[in-house]
Order: sequence, then structure tokens, then C-alpha cells
Amino acid sequence: MSKAFIVDVAKCNGCYSCQMACKDEHAGNDWRPIAAAQPDIGQFWFKLKDETVGTVPRVRVNYTPTLCNHCERPACKDACRSEAIYAREDGLVIIDPEKCKGCGSCARACVYEAIYFNEALKISQKCTGCAHLLDNGYDLPRCVEMCPTGCLAFGEEKTLESDILGASRLKADEGFKPRVWYRNLPGQFIGGTVYDPETEDVVIGARVRAVTGGKHIETTTDEYGDFWLKDLAVGKYDVFIEPKGYNQKAFYGLWTKTCINLGDIPVGKFLGDAG
Amino acid sequence: MVQKIDARADRTVLKGASLMGPQSGPPTAVDSGKDGKITRIRPFYYDKDFEWEDLNPWKIEAKGSTFEPPNHTLPGTYFLSYKKRVYSENRVRYPLKRVDWDPKGERNTQNRGKSKYKRISWEEASRLIADELLRVKAKYGMSAVLAEADMHGEGKHIAPCHGCMNKLLSMLGGYTVQMRNMDSWEGYSWGAKNVWGGEPVGQMQPSGNIWPDIAKNAEQLLLWGADPETTPVGFDGYMASRLSQWIHNLGHKYVYVDPALNWSGAYLADKWIPVMPNTDAALLLAIIYVWLEEGLWDSEYVETHAVGYEAFFEYVRGNAEDGTPKTPRWASEKCGVPPWTIKALARQWHGKVTSFTIGNGGPGIRGPFATEPARLQAIAMGMQGLGKPGRHHAKWLEWNIHSPIYPMPHQGSEHFEIPHRCEILRPVGSDVDLYTGNMPKVAYENEELMDVLRPHPNKTLQAIPKCLLHDAILDGKTDWWGLHSFVGPAEEQWVHYEYPNKGCSNIHMIWTDSPCMVTCWNDGFRIAKAFRDPSIECIVAQQPWLENDCLLADIILPVQTKFELEDICEDTNGGIVCSVYHEYPACPPVGESLDDFDCVAEVARALGPEYYNEYTKGEKDRSRIIELFYEGSVAHLDTNDDFHNKGIYPIPCNPDKQDFKKYPPGLSPFWRDPENNPLSTPTGKLEFTSSKIAELFPGDRERPPYPQWVEKSDLHDERAHGARAKDYPLLCVSNHGRWRFHANLDDITWHREVDTMKMRGADGYQYEAAWINPRTAASRAIAHGDLIKIYNERGTVLCAAYLTERLAEGIVYVDHGARYDPIDPETLDRGGAINLITPAAITSKNVTGMVVSGFLVEAAKVADTEYEGWKKQYPDAFARKVDEGCGLCLAGWSEA
Repeated sequence: MSKAFIVDVAKCNGCYSCQMACKDEHAGNDWRPIAAAQPDIGQFWFKLKDETVGTVPRVRVNYTPTLCNHCERPACKDACRSEAIYAREDGLVIIDPEKCKGCGSCARACVYEAIYFNEALKISQKCTGCAHLLDNGYDLPRCVEMCPTGCLAFGEEKTLESDILGASRLKADEGFKPRVWYRNLPGQFIGGTVYDPETEDVVIGARVRAVTGGKHIETTTDEYGDFWLKDLAVGKYDVFIEPKGYNQKAFYGLWTKTCINLGDIPVGKFLGDAG
Repeated sequence: MVQKIDARADRTVLKGASLMGPQSGPPTAVDSGKDGKITRIRPFYYDKDFEWEDLNPWKIEAKGSTFEPPNHTLPGTYFLSYKKRVYSENRVRYPLKRVDWDPKGERNTQNRGKSKYKRISWEEASRLIADELLRVKAKYGMSAVLAEADMHGEGKHIAPCHGCMNKLLSMLGGYTVQMRNMDSWEGYSWGAKNVWGGEPVGQMQPSGNIWPDIAKNAEQLLLWGADPETTPVGFDGYMASRLSQWIHNLGHKYVYVDPALNWSGAYLADKWIPVMPNTDAALLLAIIYVWLEEGLWDSEYVETHAVGYEAFFEYVRGNAEDGTPKTPRWASEKCGVPPWTIKALARQWHGKVTSFTIGNGGPGIRGPFATEPARLQAIAMGMQGLGKPGRHHAKWLEWNIHSPIYPMPHQGSEHFEIPHRCEILRPVGSDVDLYTGNMPKVAYENEELMDVLRPHPNKTLQAIPKCLLHDAILDGKTDWWGLHSFVGPAEEQWVHYEYPNKGCSNIHMIWTDSPCMVTCWNDGFRIAKAFRDPSIECIVAQQPWLENDCLLADIILPVQTKFELEDICEDTNGGIVCSVYHEYPACPPVGESLDDFDCVAEVARALGPEYYNEYTKGEKDRSRIIELFYEGSVAHLDTNDDFHNKGIYPIPCNPDKQDFKKYPPGLSPFWRDPENNPLSTPTGKLEFTSSKIAELFPGDRERPPYPQWVEKSDLHDERAHGARAKDYPLLCVSNHGRWRFHANLDDITWHREVDTMKMRGADGYQYEAAWINPRTAASRAIAHGDLIKIYNERGTVLCAAYLTERLAEGIVYVDHGARYDPIDPETLDRGGAINLITPAAITSKNVTGMVVSGFLVEAAKVADTEYEGWKKQYPDAFARKVDEGCGLCLAGWSEA
């Protein structure tokens, strides 16, 4: 019976259509009793977050589309002092704009920072899953409808089972049972380019190993001499560059709290033990 | 029991979602409520009124995967927020007159860009303009009136956003036409055209069916200054994005060569090669050097398909006059790419079937000497067998223009275009009207339609290229090569012109419906100086919004946006299904605004009934014009009368056009048989050395007979190692806006909340985000969000520092098109309009193009004392009301 959102970040092109469609639907449009109008600026019921990781030229941009998680056990509802927050039969969690007294407890309780305060109306506001549209024969909330790449999906939890399988949720361990499922959330990376400084050529097919706690992750350099050790957990890594016919190179104790660009790495020709 | 709400629309109308201008774009469905206000903007769903299969939707099959269009349009993000544009605080709501402009007394031209406006009546505004036209005509002749009317903006046909005034000016005796330079295509038009023809704009043509061929046969795509997530969006929406996603999923390697990790690269890059701005020529020369040294090129193809290659190869090898081999090491010092990466790129370009893709070329073909990198692209593709399967020069947008067969298989049964009720860009002494060129034969037989569209018999009197307008006004004369028309054959490059034309006056009055020179063209501060010159006695602007050159005008006419209009529109560029549809007003007119056609009609009325009747053709009924345009475009195809019955006629796709045997991809006929399928160059071959340049400009050091690395010239010294770099060490790169469409959309409050566009300063003002690498910033003690000034000899533009690893070091990157918000009109801007400080000089001596990227600046943190000093020096500028959400606004520039 409950609705869920799927967010496949591998398909996010960072276009912000989700964020703008939400504004188009809610800023200045009053959909009471589901939601009062959102102020023109300052609130983001749907917010696309972006984070740039790595350094030039080994850079990735991680997009995370975020919205109210419509939790099965909503902390906001428990925190509300005026019984203004309720879950609909379809699982969408709504702040009743008429009952809300604007105490702000819900916003403080929400770990997703999804609740905003309307200064003019003195009420708390957030994503409604466009319940006012769903009740009027529309199939999708505006954010999902406008996603041009298939990054966002919405529907009955049951029909989305195959997408939910293997997906993760943000702050899932806090026990609120959120209903926004993320696919392909990236881990950290360690990257670099291996080259021979003597001939000024990239080294292709060089073995690159990362070792952490006895676990080995391995890749080889591609046609551009590049390697990307991707989707690493945060931790300490020793990285070994082992190109055939060249001296090895090692980087010890790399801490992947951030993504790491090892830069262009020169490797000398292996001249035998005497060399 | 919860009360029931009705979220459905009171009414839904179709509106084109494109700012291309001449073309109106894919339809969106716009809802409005009982109060007449726009509620929301959604895609148009083809299967609502039609059987999807009846539309013959196209598909591409490649490498075991199928790519199909969705059953709805894919409007760009911009159009989801377009109601903010309609209701903007920046809207011109009624006719305005500059408070201290008195046509009978002091005109105070020195106060343009400073003094405010007051509301006047339509009657007064049209009377003032009519009187000025008659006065100027009597005193100087009609050649003293410059009409600035061209290009992008809302796609409108009944009342086009550009060119309505031209007809009235023709009726008065003619005018000076501001001829657009080849701004989208400078390097290709002036350079590559001399390698491969590629008329009308110098990019690879024909380009039919190349995208299916690339999907099937290519292995690697170079995205060279190309961003499918940005450039196509304002034209066509997100079909290019979906195409890029699909081809990437097929396993094609995506290599981005760009100073920045652009928006597409942030999404799909397998490899990002940061190149210093405007050094692409060096990089390309080194790649060609590697090919020659290692034998990695298609010598058989070159021998049979190219001419003049020996001399060029000798130059690359270092055997020409300069004696410098163009080695990867040599190039690396200029372009910043390590030699090993240059070699790897060269080898992979040869080793993998590679297509070269562009988003019209970007800043890479709009810098100093832009002809050279553009020519080198064409030559490089030639050396790798241009036209062979999967080896094309392809564009991520404009799939509906310049090629009789579309590059993407979305064509209806024939090429068509809805005409425009205006005259636009008429070359001097000619009737050629660019925007009625694609009408079917039946249109020309429709006398009633022709009567509406026929240009006035009075010809245009003289021309000024847009990129030389400053010189024309401030020096009183200028001369140039080419640009007889905006898009034309290569031969136009070899004709020389002068201003003033024989028997013509200098200009003394300007009427603009495209008031964006300061923020879109070269050396905007000098444009401001020209517009403030006492010789320009009157400036009239007509525009929906108070932006850019409007702030330098004396009279401003309020124009309706297309959301307030009834019109007939066409979608030939959305990439899904072509269609023709009827637009109805989505809301009542804002304020006293009129559409562009009627703005001019009011002036005609003030001139007298003979002008009014001729201009309006006796006030021909709007619905009759729509009917005529329908009859002159697709009526003969619309056998079910869908246009009238359903408001939209989607033209079923033609699968036949995808047959590679009948319609071979791109230049493959030239590859197979160059003798019988020659290029349009003088020799019919790829001219590595241009026969025409060798003949006409043999001594040109900036555009020599074969392409070269040009370090600097008398016109330009914009290199990171040159003399000027001591004072201005950063190279500025300026792209098409991610959050704007050229000068459009800067006022959308919801866009301005995204910090890659604007960042709110300590003073509350939303400054334009200037991207800068953290290490480049650190060496200047600039922190993220700091108010910075970007400056050179031409002036200072204020921005906010956006520190990012998405940009290489030594560069500052500011999207073009932010609104001019002058603190001092000729030296200091708060709005972030970076084109204000772009170079004045044209591309090169014999190339009449603009230079708007790849130029030197310095960036520095604005000290509090300096800021306070400005506030004291320019109290009026700082006292202007600025809207919290949209920034510059009508209230800040009009008297209460």
C-alpha cells in the first residue's frame, strides 16, 4: 500500500529539473489541505545536492537528489506537539498546514533536514509527494515526472521491489524506515595516471593494487594510463603500482576520507637488480 | 474527512519550450487556474490524443540495444521555471522614458546607464518614437537609423521577437541593418569552410543520419568543448542528454577536452583532459605530429581526398619557416596537457573508431584566431578517414537545420518551417529573408500568404557587423570582409565592405529588439561607451524585461512574452516527433505590454493611417494569419485536420529517411567516391592548404593558407605566457550559460538559488559565480564565496568566487549572459556580465568575428575599503532597489 521513491544516482545528469519542477508546483501555489504555498525562495522540498570529489583532472561530481523520506516511523510526527503530522494510507507523510502551530520541533527531529519554516505563515513545510496531484488522477509527483534520464522513479513499494533490491537508504541505521531508496551511491576513489618519464608515454595495462586490512582490490591502467580504484569504503589503503618491466611504486597509508588523486605517476624502467 | 481539493488545471494550453528564436520548439502543456495565473508547466504527452504507434516513432538499434523516444516532450529545466520569467520583477510593465532624455532639449546621453525611467503612456511613447524617426529621416536620411533585430529569444511567428520594426523602417525609406557575425560558428565559418566547405556555417555537412551511424560504428567520442547537458537544453530540451546516456551505455568511451569538467563530463566522462583556454590549436597540431611520426593516419584517404597536405605536414614536422616541430612537449607548454596524455590521445583517436563531437564549438572556436583550431579539427578528422563508418564531426544540437536529412532520425515526412511575420537580417540591397527559406512550394503559390510575408520593396541601405558596432559609432567608420548575409557561401568571405556605405549617413538613432550587446558581444564596456555617445541621439528598446542594453535606452516599449500570446508554432528540433501546434494565451497580458508586432504598429499609428494600414495589412485578423501560416506549411500533409481538431498536428516520422542505403550517413558518399561526390571547396577536396586563402591572402599571419599556431598578433596578445599576462595572468573562459540561455533567464529566482549560478554576498546581493581552482584562488587569498573583481584594461566585473576542482589552474570561468548592472556604465559592473571586458578586436584582421573567450584577466578579492570607496563614489548605483530573489528589477530603475 505504501509509496516509495527510487533514486538511481548513476542516471542523474545533474539537470535540476526535479528541484525546479517542485518549485513550479509548490512555490506560490496553495494546495491546502495538503500544503500551503511554498515561499518563492529559501525552501527546497526537493533538493539536488552536488559534491565535487578528487582533484584536477581526476574529478567526479556526485549528485544526491534529496527529499522528505516519508519514513514509516517518522520522527517528525513523533516530535510534533500539535498532532499536525500524519501518514496517509499510501504512506506519504503530510504536515497539515491548518493544524501546524509552527513550533519547529519536527524540523529539529528530522535527520534528513527536509523540513523548512515558513516565516510568513509561521508553519513548517516539506515535500508532500505531490499528494494533491495523486488524489486528482496524476500518476507521479512532479519531480519524478520531470526527470529526463530515468534517475527517479515512484510507485507502490511492491511494484518497485526489483529496484529496491540492492538499494540503500540514507541514514537507514537510525530506525526511521525511510522510503527513498538510492541505487549506485558511489564510494570513494583513488586514481592516477602511470607514465614513463623517459619516453614520455603512458603505461598501459599496469597492475594497480590497493590493500586494506588484508583485502586486495585490483585494477589495471587503461589506454590513457589511467587507473580508478572505485567504490572504496573509507579506510586506510596501501596502493602498489606494478607495471611490467618497470620499477614498482608504492603509496602507503592513504586515508580515503576524501577521494584521492595520486596525479601523474612516473615509473622508471626496471633495469634488473643491479639497476 | 479531508476536504477535496482540485489540483487540475482550469485550462491547459500548449507553449513552445525553446529560446532558439526563429524556431519555436517542442510543445509543453501549460496549466492555468481560474484566476488566470499560470499554475504549472508540464511535458506534452503525444499519446493523450494520438495513438503513439500511428506516429511511426523512430528507433535506433546498435550493439544489441534499442534507443527510442519517450511518448512525451522533454522540456529543458529552464522551461519548468518559465512562469517566473512571465511574472518577473524585472518585467517592463508599461512604456518607459528615461527621466532626463528630452528630445526637445537636453538629451543627456552621458546619463544612459545611470538615470532612471518614468512611466509614460503608449500614446506618448509612440508619438516620441514617430517624431524622432521623422526628425532623423529629415536631418540625416533613413540610413541614420540602425535596426538591431536578430536571433535568439522566444520562438514567435505571428509577432516575432526580432525584426518587426524592420518593415516599418523599410516603409520609411530603409535603414541600416546590424548584420550578425557568425557568432555561433566563428572558427568554422571563417576557417573550416575553407577546408571542407560545410556551408552554410562551415561545420561538417551533410550530416544526415550520423548519430545512428555513430551509435552503431564508433568506439570513442571526443567531446571537444562540447556539453550536451547545457548547450542543447535551451533549444531542444533533453533529447541530447538521453542520446548521450544511451551511447555511453553502449560502451563508447567519452573523452572530454575542455578547460572545465563541464556538466556532461560531470555525468559521463571516462576521461577529462583539461586544456588551457584557446590553446586547442597547439594540442591538435601535436596530435597530428604524433600521427605523422608514428604512421597513425589514413594516408590512402588523404592522398585521394585532400589537397595541399604536404606543405602542412612539413610545417607540423618543423620543416617550415618557423623551424619548430609541433611535438607533444612543444604543445604541452602551451596547452597544459602532459606530453604522455597527448600521445595517448593521438593513439586512441587513431586506434579506436572516433567521432569528434561539438556543441557548436563553444569557446574553442570563439577566441582570438578561432579559424585555426576549427580548421585543424577538420584536417584531423580528414587524416582519420572522415565519412567512414563512425568517423564524423557531429553536433549535439541543431539537428533540424543546415542538413536536408536530419542527423537524428526524428524527421517528419518533409522539412518545413512556420514563417515569421517580419523582415529580419536582410542583406544590403537584397530581398533574401532567412526565415522563410524553408517553406514548401505550396506556400509560394499562396498569394494571400505572400502578401503578408513579402519584404518591402525598399532595400536596406547599409550594414554594420554586430562585432564592429563600437568602431562604427565611436570612430565614425569601419570596414571589413564578408558578412553580406548571416549564413552564406564561402565566397562571401572574399568581399570587402565599408561603413558608412556610399551616400549613407552615420547612424544617429538605434531601435533594438535584441538589447543584449553588452552581455553577449565583444567588449561590452565599449558598446556602453558607444551607446552613450552624443552622436546617438535616440535609442529605442522593445523588450519584455528591463535588461542589458535597455538600461542604455531612452524609450522602452513593454513586450508580451509568448505565454500571453496566440500563435502557431513548430517543433522540428525536439528530437521526438515533429509537429505544428496552435498556441493560445496562458494568461492575460502583464501590465500594458503588447506583442512585438503591435508595439511597432503603435508607432505606425502615430506616423499616420497610411503607415498603419500598410504595416498591419489592414489589421488582418490574427486567426486568419495563423490559418495562412498553417496553409503555407503543413496543411497539405495534415489529412485528418489534427491541427484544427486537436490543436496539434504531429507529423509521423518517416522510417525511410533512416535507410543508410538511400540516405548515407554524413560524408560517406565523399569517402566512397570523392570525384563524383565532391565537397563545395574550390578543388572539391579537403583543402589542408586553402586554395582561396593562398590566392587572396597569402601573407596573412593570423589565418595563413594552412592552419598554424598563432602566438599573438597586432590585434591580440591573449596568451598565458605573453607580455600582457604579467598584469593579467589568468585566462578567462566563458561558456554558454548553464543557468541561462545567452542573455535570457538571469532573473529566474529559482535558478539564482543554485550556487553554481549565483552566490549571495555579505551585502545580500546575488553575485554571479566565477569558477576558479582552489590553488589559483589560494595564491590570491581568495576563499569560496568571496566577493572578487575580475578585471583587465577594459574594466572590472564583480563576481563571487566559486572554488572548484572542476576547473584547471590558471583560469577563471564565468558563463556569459549575466545581466549588466552598472555601478559605472563604462568601467564597473556588479551583475557579472563578463562580456563587458572581452577583447574589442575581431577574430583576426581578415576575419570579422567576435572574441568572447580565451582572453586575459586578473582576479582579486575586493577589499572592504575598496567596496566602501565605491559606495561613496557611486551612491546612486548602490541605492537602487535590488530584489531579494531576482536581483536587478524594474523598481530599482523606475521613479516611484
